[in-house]
Amino acid sequence: MPWELKSDRPIYTQLIEQIELMIFSGVYPLGSKLPSVRELAQVAAVNPNTMQRALVKLEEDGLIITHRTSGRSITEDARMVEMAKTKLAQERISEFLEKMQLMGFEQKEILTIIDNMVKEMKK
Amino acid sequence: MSTILECNDLTKKFGSKEAVSAVNLKIERGQIVGLLGPNGSGKSTIIKLANELLTPTSGTILIGGKKPGVATKKIVSYLPEKTYLNDWMHVNQIIELFSDFYDDFKPEKAYDMLKSLNINPNDRLKTMSKGTKEKVQLILVMSREAELYLLDEPIGGVDPAARDYILNTILRNYNENSTVIISTHLISDIENILDYVVFINQGQVVLTSSVDDIRNEKGKSVDGLFREVFKC
Amino acid sequence: MLSKLIKYEIKATGRIFLPLFLALLMFAGITRFISPLGPEKFDTPAMISMAIYISIMVGMFVMTFIMMIQRFNKNLLTDEGYLMLTLPVKPWKHIVSKLLVSMLWIVGSGIAAIISIMIIALKKGDLTKIAVEFATFHQQVYEYLGTSMYLWSFEIILGILITLASGIMIVYASIAIGHLFSRHKMLASFGAFIALSSLSKILITLISLTPVFTYFSNIHISSNDFIGMQHVIQWAIACGIIFTGLLCAAYFAVTNFILSKRLNLE
Repeated sequence: MPWELKSDRPIYTQLIEQIELMIFSGVYPLGSKLPSVRELAQVAAVNPNTMQRALVKLEEDGLIITHRTSGRSITEDARMVEMAKTKLAQERISEFLEKMQLMGFEQKEILTIIDNMVKEMKK
Repeated sequence: MSTILECNDLTKKFGSKEAVSAVNLKIERGQIVGLLGPNGSGKSTIIKLANELLTPTSGTILIGGKKPGVATKKIVSYLPEKTYLNDWMHVNQIIELFSDFYDDFKPEKAYDMLKSLNINPNDRLKTMSKGTKEKVQLILVMSREAELYLLDEPIGGVDPAARDYILNTILRNYNENSTVIISTHLISDIENILDYVVFINQGQVVLTSSVDDIRNEKGKSVDGLFREVFKC
Repeated sequence: MLSKLIKYEIKATGRIFLPLFLALLMFAGITRFISPLGPEKFDTPAMISMAIYISIMVGMFVMTFIMMIQRFNKNLLTDEGYLMLTLPVKPWKHIVSKLLVSMLWIVGSGIAAIISIMIIALKKGDLTKIAVEFATFHQQVYEYLGTSMYLWSFEIILGILITLASGIMIVYASIAIGHLFSRHKMLASFGAFIALSSLSKILITLISLTPVFTYFSNIHISSNDFIGMQHVIQWAIACGIIFTGLLCAAYFAVTNFILSKRLNLE
């Protein structure tokens, strides 16, 4: 199944996000080998050059490592991943908080709603 | 040479009508390019010119630096909009024909794809539905290891599942040395696999851009931009 | 590449002609065996069989004509042209392959027709009789002409083939010219055919009016002096062959030019 990609944002940024999610959630565990650019592009149903750009950016960010002879793999540095995960979480939360503020919610109200919902989730 | 297709002031007139007007275009290897425009905009004409099925009125079109001829036909794999297969042949006979005339044709690939699509190679083309014949044509074209693939409306009359298969086949055959040019007006379906798009209208190039640039700069998809540019 | 094109051309057309030849010979055989008392006794089954045989014969020759046109027009200038003309092959090879295979089937039809007539008409000892008579004829001609007999046979066969080729090429050229028109292509092809035939006839007339040829037409050929006249007659035939050959080449050039530089597939 091709990946879910929105049509108004650049594809390669969406690819970066999708791959990050897979790293954070453990679909691609630490140190595991990544499929080739072509395979990934086929699975995602996107242009291989676009996939390549996404992977290069992820490499710059330190989440992916290219080995000269054996292709690409996920970093083994757990701290790196944690940092990236936290960073993404912070980005999402700040987007969320902005929206909530636009709706007119106060900080305490937001925290209460979140608290209740998390309790619901645990059940 | 890294430019696989080059048009220099390419013009084609039919009588007094200019189907292609002083088109200038450069397409590099290793790209998947969309040639997008409304019906009658000149897309098919440019593709026919590249295949020597038409001769330019003025200007040039070069494939790998050469004018269209026997040498370029060896490296160009063309899928026309029409069904061009002889009705009386069986599928394996047409595969034999392609093997005979094209050094870069790989029959194993063709048989593999036929199998995945449940098409019997012993069947006669005459007995097949239009959709199946189109699939056979696509399989023949994609089983060549060409340097330039020219696909004229490859997903037009095909059901969505087959569409996915076709796009997947294009991706599977991708390599850094070859280029695929897809001419179509069904943009949203193929947008994700394109590197680069060329908008054509009334025989002239209106816009060339990478897909990501369009999304970055205009904040919309290629499909969205197309609708804007070609509003009726 | 040319041999491959010929191979496919034969495959595409053989599936029509070989069954026709077979049917022709079969019905010749059937007609013969149904009327054991000879063609004088016309009973109904024999007449039916004969009628079928004749229709097949006519159909066969009509088919060679239709196929000749169809293979050129349909295979190169309609949808199939998208396949054929994008093959990495120069257009002249397409023309030559179709020309040769058309000639093949025309000659083949002729041979099939002759054999079928022999099947029907020959009586028991006839074949041996004919063979003996032919050998005698051959001997007589050799005594009369000497080795130039071979030259004569060669000239005659060449003449027939060139005329056949020219007849086919004028049709191809007409079809190609018709293709240049966006509408009424068939009408244009007919027109082109008439124009080309007329042109070639005019050319022949003009040439035959030149002094060299008026000399020829004034020569009286008498059977006593045939040996002496040989060279003159051979010369005349050779000129005919050369002229037809040039016409053939001209039609070929026109066809090739249109296919290479003026193609416009819809």
